[in-house]
Amino acid sequence: MSDRATNPPGFLSGLNQALPIAMGYFPIAFSFGVAATRAGLTEAEAVMLSVVIYAGAAQFLALALITSGAPLLVSAFTLVAMNLRHVLYGPALLKRAGAGARTRHAWAWAFGLTDEVFGAALGAMARGKAGFSEPFMFGLGIGAYAAWISGTAVGAFAGGGALEGWPVLDAALGFMLPALFLSLLLSILTRAQLPVIAIAGAVTVGLTLAVSSTAGILGGMVAGALTGVLGLARGAGDGR
Amino acid sequence: MDGSLLMLALIVGGCNWAFRFLPTKLDLSGQAPEGVLARFLAATGPAAIATLFVASVLPMVSGDWAKMAPLGAGVLAVVAVFAWRRSVVQATLAGAAVYGAVFALV
Repeated sequence: MSDRATNPPGFLSGLNQALPIAMGYFPIAFSFGVAATRAGLTEAEAVMLSVVIYAGAAQFLALALITSGAPLLVSAFTLVAMNLRHVLYGPALLKRAGAGARTRHAWAWAFGLTDEVFGAALGAMARGKAGFSEPFMFGLGIGAYAAWISGTAVGAFAGGGALEGWPVLDAALGFMLPALFLSLLLSILTRAQLPVIAIAGAVTVGLTLAVSSTAGILGGMVAGALTGVLGLARGAGDGR
Repeated sequence: MDGSLLMLALIVGGCNWAFRFLPTKLDLSGQAPEGVLARFLAATGPAAIATLFVASVLPMVSGDWAKMAPLGAGVLAVVAVFAWRRSVVQATLAGAAVYGAVFALV
């Protein structure tokens, strides 16, 4: 590959960069596996969600929607809308990689372009630790994906009652998801996005208290996105 | 395996794949930075993540300050570690660890 000739980060380099992601993904996926079996899913169903969806926040929300009895299409729309932000990652990454970046096998490695993998790839290029190559992206993505699936499997097979004797660990894992969302929010935060964030949060609280958590999540996202469309958040997105 | 769960996973997983892959093949450079689509896309991510953070924290909010202590400490830990390390993974793990530690103390 021509990009390897000038800057040859390979598969193993990608795997190496995936290590910190894997360390973070495994416990979060473990807590997802535990939560899934608590919600009544089988071990196979929990692992299937991680293999097919592969989006942490969406998977936890899927559990909430499933247990609340939300209709299939409403659940699908909610979960799909939640991951719409991912459309920005590919172009942002390739823009950073430069005009010569190859995407012949992007149909495969791009599935692994989660928030963390995108951030790690962009960060590695920005820090000069690696350039862009498809083998690098495969290594990075497979390392993170393997940690996510194995963590889910261990959590699911440990079972919903696995943490009953460990209340402190149970509490800590219960805060893993809010902590992940807050960290992601901080990672994309710019002053221009504050109106979007404030309105999304306020509408979520109002609709959750007045109607339901599902209405709160949907309404918050739509209200926040409309805030951006209406131009109340000029420059939103520059944070990436 | 539940058929509707599998269907839900395939729809969402398929869209995830499309969201992550298709933009690598599309030239979005022609989009006006201030266009409606560009603004919508730019605002969707922050709006979604802010919504999810609020929705995940709401059930933990209580009038009992002792019960709120782990939440406050966990949030502060996430903010502090992110400001220090600029790492989502480290901030997440630190927040959970501090939440658990304060939970054990109170």
